[in-house]
Amino acid sequence: MSLEDASLDIVPGELLAVVGENGAGKSSLMNVLYGLYHPDAGTFLMDGKPVRFKSPRDAIAKGIGMVHQHFMLVPTLTVAENVVLGREPTKRGLLDLDRACDEVAATAKRFGFQLDPRARVDTLTVGSQQKVEIVKALHRGAQVLILDEPTAVLTPQESDELSQVMRGLVAQGRTVVLISHKLKEVLGVADRVAVMRRGRTVAEVRASETTVSALAALMVGEGSRGAAMTGVPATAVTATHLTGTGTTGAAAALPPAPVEPAAASTGPVVLEAKDLRATGDNGRPALQGVSLTVRAGEIVGIAGVDGNGQRELAEVLTGLRKLDGGEGTLLGGPLVGLTPALAKARGVGHVPEDRLARAVVKAMTVEENVALGRHRQPPFARGPWVDFKGRRERTEQLLTGYDVRPNDPTVALQALSGGNQQKVVVARELDARPELLVVVQPTRGLDIGAVAQVHERLRDAKARGAGVVMVSLDLEEVLALSDRVYVLYEGRVTGHFPRKDLDERELGRRMLGAEASHG
Amino acid sequence: MGERARQVLPSVLSVLLALAVCWLLIAITRDADTATRAYVQMLWGGVGNWPAFLDGGSATSVTRPLGEAAMKAALLTLTGLSVAVAFKVGLFNIGAQGQMIWGALAAALVGAHVALPGALHVPLALAAAAVAGAAWASIAGVLKLKRGVHEVISTIMLNWVAVSLVDNWLVIGPLRAVAEGASSITGTAEILPSAQLPRLLGDSSRLNLGFPLALAAALGVWVWLTRTRSGYETRAVGLTPEAARAAGIPTLWRAGGAMALAGALAGLAGAVLVLGTEGRYPGSLGAPYGFDGIAIALIGNNHPLGAALAAAVFGVLRAGGTRMQLLGVHKSFPELIQGFALLFVAGRMVWLALLARRQKRAQAQAQAGVEVPRA
Repeated sequence: MSLEDASLDIVPGELLAVVGENGAGKSSLMNVLYGLYHPDAGTFLMDGKPVRFKSPRDAIAKGIGMVHQHFMLVPTLTVAENVVLGREPTKRGLLDLDRACDEVAATAKRFGFQLDPRARVDTLTVGSQQKVEIVKALHRGAQVLILDEPTAVLTPQESDELSQVMRGLVAQGRTVVLISHKLKEVLGVADRVAVMRRGRTVAEVRASETTVSALAALMVGEGSRGAAMTGVPATAVTATHLTGTGTTGAAAALPPAPVEPAAASTGPVVLEAKDLRATGDNGRPALQGVSLTVRAGEIVGIAGVDGNGQRELAEVLTGLRKLDGGEGTLLGGPLVGLTPALAKARGVGHVPEDRLARAVVKAMTVEENVALGRHRQPPFARGPWVDFKGRRERTEQLLTGYDVRPNDPTVALQALSGGNQQKVVVARELDARPELLVVVQPTRGLDIGAVAQVHERLRDAKARGAGVVMVSLDLEEVLALSDRVYVLYEGRVTGHFPRKDLDERELGRRMLGAEASHG
Repeated sequence: MGERARQVLPSVLSVLLALAVCWLLIAITRDADTATRAYVQMLWGGVGNWPAFLDGGSATSVTRPLGEAAMKAALLTLTGLSVAVAFKVGLFNIGAQGQMIWGALAAALVGAHVALPGALHVPLALAAAAVAGAAWASIAGVLKLKRGVHEVISTIMLNWVAVSLVDNWLVIGPLRAVAEGASSITGTAEILPSAQLPRLLGDSSRLNLGFPLALAAALGVWVWLTRTRSGYETRAVGLTPEAARAAGIPTLWRAGGAMALAGALAGLAGAVLVLGTEGRYPGSLGAPYGFDGIAIALIGNNHPLGAALAAAVFGVLRAGGTRMQLLGVHKSFPELIQGFALLFVAGRMVWLALLARRQKRAQAQAQAGVEVPRA
């Protein structure tokens, strides 16, 4: 369930920001507006008249344009070719490129963009590519422009420039809907802010009448509902009481786990990291000086909004990503120069985020996957040979112990459901008795039963004396399991809370980059 | 449908369909009777004319065709294995031909210029060929793994480099045999008798040690891939490289190793050709067994034993192809059959969909217990 009774009014000529945590339903709501998703229930009015979009084509025809977080551009074509794609001007049946360039240049000039229509898109910076996307939407007559997390890929300078662009569009009478979770940024540019939480729109406030802290509180569920509602003038687009199912998998609310009053772990330090720096896949700094300590026998939660360096941190700890700087000790060896093989040899277990890409070979059998990573040692190997009997026996034990269905070591892993695949991965990693276990989003997409089981196993690992680093975007999961929590924001630790000081509200604020409100 | 059937059936059906299509082509251009008789001739030419032999004919009527088929099957097996092994690690080795050329040259040189007793000479010549082929393949492997050069491009181009260097220069230039009496010899010097692969069925049949050697190679590759740690690692790297890396597997070494092994196998094919039948590196290697290896690997579903089986089938068809000429059918028909089979195998997914539909219908019938009308 990703939308549950969400309502939104979009006023012509304003800049409306929609904010919320990951999975709050922002993108789902926008995809409904853009005709990508179809609501199960609810009404959708434009200029007072009910409308139904079968596809984005209908939305575009009605003057709604969307700039996705991942650009939909053909890199080897020019700016003009990309903009006119799908509605190319022709001369005697042939593409009229000159006219296309003139038209695109005219559109760009009208809205104050500096773009060379003849430049190839793959030669442009990310910021310029985003402008191409915006011009593309405007060129198709967009009156309402939806921007999905537009600053996620931009440098601070480019972000500032984008803010000016958005204000410029509004000044020319266009309507801009900005989806973001960067509250400071939102307050600097928006006229009005709609806050979403768990598929509902919980508040609409004037940007001038609120603060980062107040918004953060609304996002994570504090503050009285509707208290900040303002009167809304004549509406252009009204979506009321939409419900629907989006792409985010199982997000059913978990019952809060029993909180054992655990004393802080005094076990030996298994990981001590100082000032870690690393570069993300997009070439931008992902870790900008992260320091953390993990002891045996504790679960350390890493909280944060998606894309703030958590993934890269997990990769550094498992030897999958090179450090640019910083140092540390991991299970008695240096963190610098760590490789996956070294990490494994020292006793690091890893349940990665992207199971199919990293944790398993889906075309291999379940037993072959259980051996993966430990395939050189007994009971999985005898000398240079695969030990079929030992592997089968161990796999059967694990499948039974973890209640994996079907309980058959010889089927291809891809024949299992996602939850059962994850059980196989967790079983394999814990069976190796790791001294440090790094888990990323361990329960994403699992049903409630599987979630409970995975959580129990993580607690077991802790009780056995393993240090556990758990990265999760699900704040409830972090709160339910962690003995301590580090908050990451833009590659830095912005908060560190022992269990007794855990405060959901404060955690939420730190995740969004707000300053500490006390201490 | 079991997993094994899913792997095997599309290939079998493709070969049968290719045989049917080519039969139809002959039947259309000539007549059905000729087509059938041509196929019978092809069969006798490949597996031996057993009826004639059992009627009291000479043993040669069986051993000679079998020898021809086995010789061709051995070469196709080795080059097919070469392509299949590279494919297991996710690389497409189009360069078996070039690797085979270097292997053939190495075997010819060791065979002609090193004096050793037979028990050592043959293994040494084979080893030299394997090393030469592996080295040539490793150029493409290193380019791929260190510089990201696409292996399809580099192996294709290295084929031409090999042809240019060996066929167009070395064997007609510096390495050309010094003529002894004979006026125009092309190619390298004749190998010593000690380097010849022993013939297994007497002098009238060209069946030599190369055939069992190729089968042993297929078996060896299969055992390696399925039963050893490094074979398991190699498959993991080919299927999901990132998961293999995360599991601590040295992915570059495994990929490079598989590429080198692919080259070694193609090099062995060159050695079997030179030591078994040609007796020296001829003026030009001629038959494109390296390229045929691609078809064999694909028809064999990139399985070592599948490649051996496909090589045996097409070895038989090709050896028998010449006999089709007796009926005025061109001897290149077996190659046409191979081409069609390859084309049909490329539609593996179509076969699987068709088979799955059949199975579904059968299940529906079984469940309903009634006759379901054929759609």
